[in-house]
Amino acid sequence: MKRTRRVLFALIVGLTIQVAHSQNYYIYVTAESEDEVALVKFDGKKAETIKRIPVGVWPAENEGPHGITVSPDKKHWYLSMAHGNPYGTLYKFETGTDKVVGSTQLGLFPASMQISETTGLLYCVNFNLHGDMVPSTVSVVDVDEMVELDQITTGAMPHGSRLTSDGLKHYSVAMMSGELFEIDALQLKVSKKFNLDEAGMEKMEKMEGMEKMEEMDHSKMDHSKMDHSKMDGMKGMKHSKFKPTWVSPHPTKDLVYVAGNGSAQVYEVDTKNWKVTRKFETDKGPYNIDITPDGKKMVVSYKTAAKTGIWDLETGKELARLDNSQKVTHGVAISEDNRYAFVSVEGIGDDPGMMDVIDLEELKLVDTALLGKQAGGIAFWKQEKE
Amino acid sequence: MKNLSRLLWAVLLIAPLTLSAQKEIVIENKDLTIDVGEKVQLSAYIMEDGKKVDGAVVFRSRARKTIFVDSLGIAHAYKPGPASIIAFGAGVRKNFEMTVNFPPIAEIKIDAIPERIYAGTPVQLKYTVIDKAGLVREGADVKMTSNNEKVATIDPFGNISTSVPGRATITASIEGIENTVRLNVVDNPIVKIELDAEGNEARTGDVFHFTAKALDKNGNHIEDAPIYFSFTGISDDVSSSASGLIKQDGRFVADQAGMYTVTASCGVASAQKTLKINPRDVARKIELVGQGSVSDKHTSDLWIWEGQDGRDYAVTGTWGADGTAYFWDVTDPSNIYKIDSVQVDARTVNDVKVSEDGNITVISREGASNRKNGLVIIDSSNPRDVSIISTFDENLTGGVHNVFIDKGYVYALSAGQKYYVINIKDPKNPFAVSKFELDTPGRAIHDVWIEDGIAYSSNWSDGIQLVDVGNGIAGGSPENPVQFASYAYPSGANHAAFPYRQKSTGKFYVIGGDEIFPYGLNMKGPNMAGGFLHFIDFTDLENPEEIARFAIPFAGSHNFWVDGDTLYVAFYNGGVRVVDISGELMGDLLAQGREIAFIIPNDPEGYVPNAPFTWGAQLHKGHIFYSDWNSGLWSAKVEPPKPGNVKIQKK
Repeated sequence: MKRTRRVLFALIVGLTIQVAHSQNYYIYVTAESEDEVALVKFDGKKAETIKRIPVGVWPAENEGPHGITVSPDKKHWYLSMAHGNPYGTLYKFETGTDKVVGSTQLGLFPASMQISETTGLLYCVNFNLHGDMVPSTVSVVDVDEMVELDQITTGAMPHGSRLTSDGLKHYSVAMMSGELFEIDALQLKVSKKFNLDEAGMEKMEKMEGMEKMEEMDHSKMDHSKMDHSKMDGMKGMKHSKFKPTWVSPHPTKDLVYVAGNGSAQVYEVDTKNWKVTRKFETDKGPYNIDITPDGKKMVVSYKTAAKTGIWDLETGKELARLDNSQKVTHGVAISEDNRYAFVSVEGIGDDPGMMDVIDLEELKLVDTALLGKQAGGIAFWKQEKE
Repeated sequence: MKNLSRLLWAVLLIAPLTLSAQKEIVIENKDLTIDVGEKVQLSAYIMEDGKKVDGAVVFRSRARKTIFVDSLGIAHAYKPGPASIIAFGAGVRKNFEMTVNFPPIAEIKIDAIPERIYAGTPVQLKYTVIDKAGLVREGADVKMTSNNEKVATIDPFGNISTSVPGRATITASIEGIENTVRLNVVDNPIVKIELDAEGNEARTGDVFHFTAKALDKNGNHIEDAPIYFSFTGISDDVSSSASGLIKQDGRFVADQAGMYTVTASCGVASAQKTLKINPRDVARKIELVGQGSVSDKHTSDLWIWEGQDGRDYAVTGTWGADGTAYFWDVTDPSNIYKIDSVQVDARTVNDVKVSEDGNITVISREGASNRKNGLVIIDSSNPRDVSIISTFDENLTGGVHNVFIDKGYVYALSAGQKYYVINIKDPKNPFAVSKFELDTPGRAIHDVWIEDGIAYSSNWSDGIQLVDVGNGIAGGSPENPVQFASYAYPSGANHAAFPYRQKSTGKFYVIGGDEIFPYGLNMKGPNMAGGFLHFIDFTDLENPEEIARFAIPFAGSHNFWVDGDTLYVAFYNGGVRVVDISGELMGDLLAQGREIAFIIPNDPEGYVPNAPFTWGAQLHKGHIFYSDWNSGLWSAKVEPPKPGNVKIQKK
């Protein structure tokens, strides 16, 4: 009897492994300096670019595909092209055929985006990387007709456009003004603005900063001798110390996770009472975040350090900090089965872009797919049995 | 029976589920048609399971220029026409149509016509239909009639033909609104037209200025006589038509060699003058001289200059690669070789420019790994050993596409919307001193070129902008750029601009180049471009006139250069075209045979083999240097012009 049980157990385990390994995963990744999107297939062991899709219409102008997302029904993928005359463009492609089926003009340098399952609308931040530290917007697009319905003003250099799983709240951060914005996805209005620099200073950082300022002896400074004439361009600018670059909501809790690219921290913000509830000390330059669908793990790309961090959200501990395959780690997307994180890595100059596959159970890098220059936006499309 | 009861059970089980899945938005507004200027509160609720439930419904317009729906759900009607509105709530949405009525016609405005019209001369009736909202109704079906067709008739296009002296009333009507204009057709005293022009023989492309005088039987000049110019012709080439362009101020230019007759008419009186048009005959041989190959990446712009040591140098950028700019020795154009390079954190060095003394090179950066683009200032006093002096990225982080250096200032494009002026007199410490930006909606900019203290910027749909940055014409300076003239053309594709002051005529042209890619994108093989050069006569700065074009079929213009009366223009897949732009310009310069030569850089070893895509061209010490996207730097030479009207003696 015991033997039979063992055989049965071995059979079940074997079958489970077999099922796990017979999955194919498909991911779309942008190559921003190649004007190309790669479709990458990962079969559990090997990741390879199976299709390179040229995007844009200008051979001699780099149009910069940046943000990418797949519709909830998986029938279409959407791509923001950053550069235009001067506004960027949102393209709608059919998954599988990868043919363009629609487009519409958005704002300056449209970047990350997502579609709400509840409203069916797409929300795309207009990053406006062009220098002027002025409030930019989130474009709201009716993807059926590919018409921009509204632009909602947020902060300077908005990035990280993500929705709650019920599709009712949209979150983005303003990189330069250091703010977290909550938009009511139905009412299309900013419902909450949260100053991340101030929030971060509430406990430790405020004290540190104040001590440093107090150490300065302003009485000995002659401000009249400072040359302020060349500072016109700086008027009205604010450069956030925290420099938020991404926000991802928790799939089941009223929590959002904000990457502080400038402070090497991720904040957990409770959106019921708008408090920073936890701070995760990361490696240099946390940039993008994704949370496993089961809400247990957080994966953070460390852009400056060229690493990826995997965190246990329950314990708040970093489970692993893995080297990426090259410099400038960018985006993260996680498979539906919580098993793998797919991380885009830009490279520098003419380095090929790369997509690293990280096993979130084994906590190791499994394989790397090569693609065009400056791999950036990344979107998980589907997983299916072989 | 058993099966039937199972089926009934199944229906009973499924029915509530189906009902519960039925969620819809009900629009409460009965009338979805409104007038321009009107606003209406939209109202809707959500029905679920056949019952009205709580839940917000939000409205937005898909046609915001027709109807704008604000955050309170109030629809504002701006202009006539249909508009699709989307209403959505949690998990439910509905599209519905609204219509903005065309306002009733208020008025037909008719432009003034001459008080006296000479019998037999035509008049064009111009009118504008205005509705009660004050909007112009385009394409309105206006009926026009004459009450005295013996005197005058009118066709559907507003052309009035007059026959005999008398009075007639023309009535324009639409939707019960009408307006009238009274014609006073008088005896036509004109019995003779005197037509004159300078000479009766010329080459294709030479512009004639015809003058015509209408005289009565006593030889008196009738100054208000409307004179109409036209031409006919027979081409020397039996398979070509004798094309050309005639303006109603008497300017005429012929495209083809042949015999042309220009007619000036006023009623039944007319005069003709026949012209013999000879071939322009400017074509010359062009020879490929040398190539500095770049086959591992795309090449972008170029600049050629004489160095402090008297040798000749070039710098070229690279595109979509590793941020390298190459420096070349081009002293012997048949032996072009790399002497140094600079690599910066970028994927594209789109533009390269060198200071007047050759000591400073500025290159643009796009695709930097830290997303802080901008420009890089390089010491090129010894082009064999160049070094980076400083970088500048303030307000330029999104990427610099084009730059220009003039008298210690760099003009650098930022954000695709404006250019900054940066003082680099101390190249280690550059700082911005001003910026130039239009205030038009959707403004965009692509390039800027400085000459004689005037900045010529190319602003896509806002066209060419002339800005005083030190010339003095408008009191401007680098610290205070002052715009003083502009010209925009309908295609909205203005990508480059280059000034051309023509010594022989005193005319001041600005050449505006398009950049268009109508044939799609091919990243693996040859691409084709579209668009052409527009010649704008800016001699009268307040009334610039687009007067000529240079277009190559199935190729498109990019960057260009003028030296003397010759234009050197890169036409992407059409290679380099060398064009005679001497003398007054008018009409289709290619059709006139003004193209002197062309050369296409085809390289089987190119980055994309056999895919010429020429970026820019520059004349330097008699050689044409040109960069090609797929094959690097090239040089060519056009043979000297043959002396005209000299017969070579045969032994």
